[in-house]
Amino acid sequence: MEVKVLFFGVLAEVTGTAVKHYSDVGLISDLKHRISDDFPEVVHYNFRIALNNQIIEGDANLKAGDEVAYLPPFAGG
Amino acid sequence: MIESDKYMNYNYLIEGPVTSGIVASLIEKMAAEKHSGGHSYFLGQVRSDVIDGKTVVAIDYSAYEGMVKVQADRIVTSILAEFQDVRTVRILHSTGIVKAGEISLAVMVSAGHRKQAIDACAKTVELIKELLPVWKKEIFDDNSHAWRENQ
Repeated sequence: MEVKVLFFGVLAEVTGTAVKHYSDVGLISDLKHRISDDFPEVVHYNFRIALNNQIIEGDANLKAGDEVAYLPPFAGG
Repeated sequence: MIESDKYMNYNYLIEGPVTSGIVASLIEKMAAEKHSGGHSYFLGQVRSDVIDGKTVVAIDYSAYEGMVKVQADRIVTSILAEFQDVRTVRILHSTGIVKAGEISLAVMVSAGHRKQAIDACAKTVELIKELLPVWKKEIFDDNSHAWRENQ
C-alpha cells in the first residue's frame, strides 16, 4: 500500500523534492507526521492539502494509489 | 451543457508565453461561433516590478496539471451556469519561463451580447486567481528569486 505525495511551489524548493512515495500510511494525519519528520521546514509554510485533486479539510483515509499534494497559496494569472 | 462539453476537452496549460499568434488563433476559432455577438478578452502580462531595488525580469510558472484541469473545468461550468448568455469560455495559462512584458494568461469569453461577455470574463479571471493551482517564482535581474502569492 503506497501513496504518492507531490510538493509544489516553494514547498518543492525547500524540500528539494517534487514527488515522494510513502508506504503503510492509513490516514492523512499519519502521513503529515511522516512528512514533518522527513521535512521539518515544511511546518513554517502555509499550505493546503489535496487528495486526488480535491482540497480536503481535516483528516481522511488513504488507500493504495492515492495522490496527495502539498499546495502553497495559489499564484496564477 | 453542450457548450461546455465542446470547450472543456482541451489543455488549459501551455509551455512558455501566450504569443500574439496564439491570441490570433483564439480569435480566428471564434468565426465558427456565429451566435455570439461579442468576445471579451483578458490578457495577463508579466509585470516588471521593482522589489527591494531588484527588477523582475521573468516569472517561472509551475502548475499541478491534473488539478488545473479539474479546477478549470469547474470554473468554466460555473461561469456557463451563472451567465446564461455566455457561449464559450476559454482559458490558457503559461507554465515555465515567461519574460517581463510577455503574456502569461489569456481568457476569452464570448456571449450573445456584450454585457455578459465582459462581466463573465472579469469573473473568470477572479476565479482563476482564486482556484487555479499555479505558482509563480519571480526571477530578478541579479538571478535571485522570490515566490509570490496572489493578494
